[in-house]
Amino acid sequence: MAGIWIFAEKREQALELLNIGRRLAAKTGTAVSALLPGNPDAARDYIAHGADEVLLLPPLAADQSCEAYLPVIVEEAKTADPDVFLCAATPRGKELAARIAARLETGLCSSCIALNYDEGGKNLEMERIAYGGAAIQKVTCLTRPVMATIPPRTFEPVTAEAGREGHIRKLPAPPPSRVRVLERKVRTRETRDITEAKVVIAVGRGFEKPEDLALARQLADALGGEIGCTRPISEENHWLPQELCIGLSGIQIKPDLYLGLGVSGQIQHVTGIRNAKVIAAVNKDENAPIFGVADFGIVGDLYDAAPKLLQELKRGS
Amino acid sequence: MPTIIACFKWVIDEAYIRRGFSGDLDFSSVDYKISDYDRNAIEEAVRLKGSHGGSVIAMTVGTPEATKGVKDALSRGPDQACFIADADFNKLEPSQTAAILADVIRSRIVNYDLILCGEGSSDLYAQQVGARLAEHLEIPCISFVQKVDIDGGQVVAERRVEEGIEIVAAPLPALVTVLPEINVPRIPGVKDTLTASKKPVMTIRKGDLAPLGGARLQTVGMTAARMDRICEKFGTEAAEITRFVDALRKKAVIS
Amino acid sequence: MDFKLTEEQELIRKNMREFAEKYVDPIAVEIDENSRHPAELFQKLAEGDWLGMPIPVEYGGAGADYLTHVIAVEELSRSCASTGFTVSIHVGIAAMLILLFGNEQQKQKYLIPLAKGQNLGAFVLTEPGAGTDIMAATTTAVLDGNDYVLNGTKTFTSNGPTGGTYLVFAWTDKAAGRKGMSAFIIPRDTPGMKAGEHFNKMGLRSSQTSEMVFKDCRTPRENLLGKEGAGLAMAMTGFDHGRTGIAAQSVGILQAALDESIRYSKERVQFGAPIARQQAISWMIADMATDLAAARFLTYHAAWLKDQQQPFSKEASMAKLFASEAAMRHTIKAVQIQGGYGYCKGAKVERLMRDAKITEIYEGTSEAQRMIISGNVLR
Repeated sequence: MAGIWIFAEKREQALELLNIGRRLAAKTGTAVSALLPGNPDAARDYIAHGADEVLLLPPLAADQSCEAYLPVIVEEAKTADPDVFLCAATPRGKELAARIAARLETGLCSSCIALNYDEGGKNLEMERIAYGGAAIQKVTCLTRPVMATIPPRTFEPVTAEAGREGHIRKLPAPPPSRVRVLERKVRTRETRDITEAKVVIAVGRGFEKPEDLALARQLADALGGEIGCTRPISEENHWLPQELCIGLSGIQIKPDLYLGLGVSGQIQHVTGIRNAKVIAAVNKDENAPIFGVADFGIVGDLYDAAPKLLQELKRGS
Repeated sequence: MPTIIACFKWVIDEAYIRRGFSGDLDFSSVDYKISDYDRNAIEEAVRLKGSHGGSVIAMTVGTPEATKGVKDALSRGPDQACFIADADFNKLEPSQTAAILADVIRSRIVNYDLILCGEGSSDLYAQQVGARLAEHLEIPCISFVQKVDIDGGQVVAERRVEEGIEIVAAPLPALVTVLPEINVPRIPGVKDTLTASKKPVMTIRKGDLAPLGGARLQTVGMTAARMDRICEKFGTEAAEITRFVDALRKKAVIS
Repeated sequence: MDFKLTEEQELIRKNMREFAEKYVDPIAVEIDENSRHPAELFQKLAEGDWLGMPIPVEYGGAGADYLTHVIAVEELSRSCASTGFTVSIHVGIAAMLILLFGNEQQKQKYLIPLAKGQNLGAFVLTEPGAGTDIMAATTTAVLDGNDYVLNGTKTFTSNGPTGGTYLVFAWTDKAAGRKGMSAFIIPRDTPGMKAGEHFNKMGLRSSQTSEMVFKDCRTPRENLLGKEGAGLAMAMTGFDHGRTGIAAQSVGILQAALDESIRYSKERVQFGAPIARQQAISWMIADMATDLAAARFLTYHAAWLKDQQQPFSKEASMAKLFASEAAMRHTIKAVQIQGGYGYCKGAKVERLMRDAKITEIYEGTSEAQRMIISGNVLR
């Protein structure tokens, strides 16, 4: 049985994949199957959101992690022989997809940001970012199934449709895995999820000391937004938690407004903001690369500009 | 005492890629480097050797010109290198690279304990070779690791996952892919570079390998990334700030 | 003919570039502004064997050839000409002369710590009344028992305030003329030797420069470098090395000027287009790139001759003359390209221009180089 398969650890990612899945299935006249780890109650929800079939992956043992599903998924895929298999590009999703691809002896397009059938409607052309954001690589897959991992928030979630029907099938429980989880540390978010924020104020190297981040916070509060940062701020200075690091090796955001303060605009960072509706920046170096990718840029010291901006925003509202 | 393999890729330094006028990429004056995160893999292997003894083998698949990369890797502390070279190895896709590495490790490096890879290469960043290699060798795989140690016959690692961190253990031999946060790679000193070429290098040619399977992924286009933006600049005088805020309001991105 | 560097030389260049970007660039403006010697940076340079590059491993160095040393000085100078120069004078001249002319005991005692970067070397020759005219020097060293006693005043001593090992030149027999000068290795804190206040200079500000005053300064006979009377010849050998180093420093400055000019002119928009599209600007950059290539080839050739153990005195002078004058000429242009922005403190081109000027002056002025070169070719 051919068709489109999707796998995601979380519901919101699954809904994004179902959106693509539905589009591709409509093009090729096939069905969409969703792998659902853990909670079988969500099966109806997945069906309402476009799955024609839900493959239930039984709950894991306490010391098992998502990768334990590998043999179960591979066995099922060998039987079902899907045309396309999409996985959410979360850390575990990326690893699992690469290992599935190895076992199925097929190609995998990692961190795919666009996928469309070519003019003949036969080959799925997939786009991804290469060379640290400098290039877009377009690939096709020569073997079955065509596999891709899709970064979360690359596509819109699908909307539910009333009265959809679908099959629910339970897959066998996974065997014990060699990688055992000893301990889990759930990240306590110090801030809200900035991937959902309408406005993101990004903090860059232009800030001289951690206390000064208050400037960015005040602006974020005034605009109802959140704070994010460039890699050096979180990974070198440790001024902000790593989950706020925007860019190729951090998170991708797509707010209505991105405002970079003292952000130079290294390509690795810019890659994470390319989907922002409006990009604005403040930087004292008029030649900073950020101005090349910004809609609106203030050339000036952030320590001068940010308080003035704050005042102007308060005045206008 | 563990034998640790650190895999690395000799890649185009993206800082040297220029954008042509027609949106194509100009690779005419590029330089090469060890892929950024592979430096972390090498550094971590050498660090583990420092605390557990044993030896480190730096391993790469590339074109014959990558000898400089092999010296670069050796200048970072490994004891020896394994260089799998062929003129055709410049456009390998991840499935092929993993298959070649697996072939060489299986046939020539009998007793290894740990394989370290970077989380992804700084050119194509497909993030597949490590995981695929583990599958070929049928060994446990732990990805996106920010802290790793060897404890008796097992590897214990802190890996980053969606919700936070998982501390996991797996029996050796195992494969670990490392995040850049795991360490700060050294800048080799002059002596390190000059003595690198005295270390043993096992060079393996295409003819010494099992026949290479075909590519499964085909690159049909590579174009410069574009971001079309308005690029309007403002000053910091009061009137300019007002104009800036107005511009944002007009775009309806702030209220 | 082979214009290709070895893989090791290319890697060492890359490593120095990374080192300079990580440790030098962030402090370059500050150490210039404050005229500060960055001791913490030199600690890091020592750890990477950068302070003993061309000295053999058995004497604490890295065992690299002179060309490698020159390449590293160039890359370092591209970020900070002061730092590049300090390294050049320390190992390229001071340590090098002990390597070439010192006896085994002197090498063990003074060369090894120098090559390991445990202290900095200085070359103490110039006097207030004796610049290009070195024969006008007045500092004397008189043998008294088993000690030489030095008296006189030296000036413009680089690494004077921060040095640990000084190579001091003084007359042991003024009447013997060119064969009357001798060189002494004098460690810091030797009674009677005193470094003056650090000069407040136009450029090269973090390189520490001072007077050195010798007042009945006693140094044991064993600290005589080479033979009595061989001082001037050794100083000339020191200059051959030093000039190659200044040429490398100039090439680094020139490369930085070109980097800055390319970056700025492609980004700066006037009359609706990047100024790089203006022929007036693009031709400046073409000349800069061409002179850079020429300066680099002259410099590497001089270093290569040294590595082949061939005479390189004339070539070192030519490289130094051409590279330093090109650096001056083009850093002025680089400031011109950046206009008002380039004239402000903190702009890299402003520092490059100030730093470039000294390269036409020290270790033999441009005029002195022309004397040497013409003397060589008219012989």
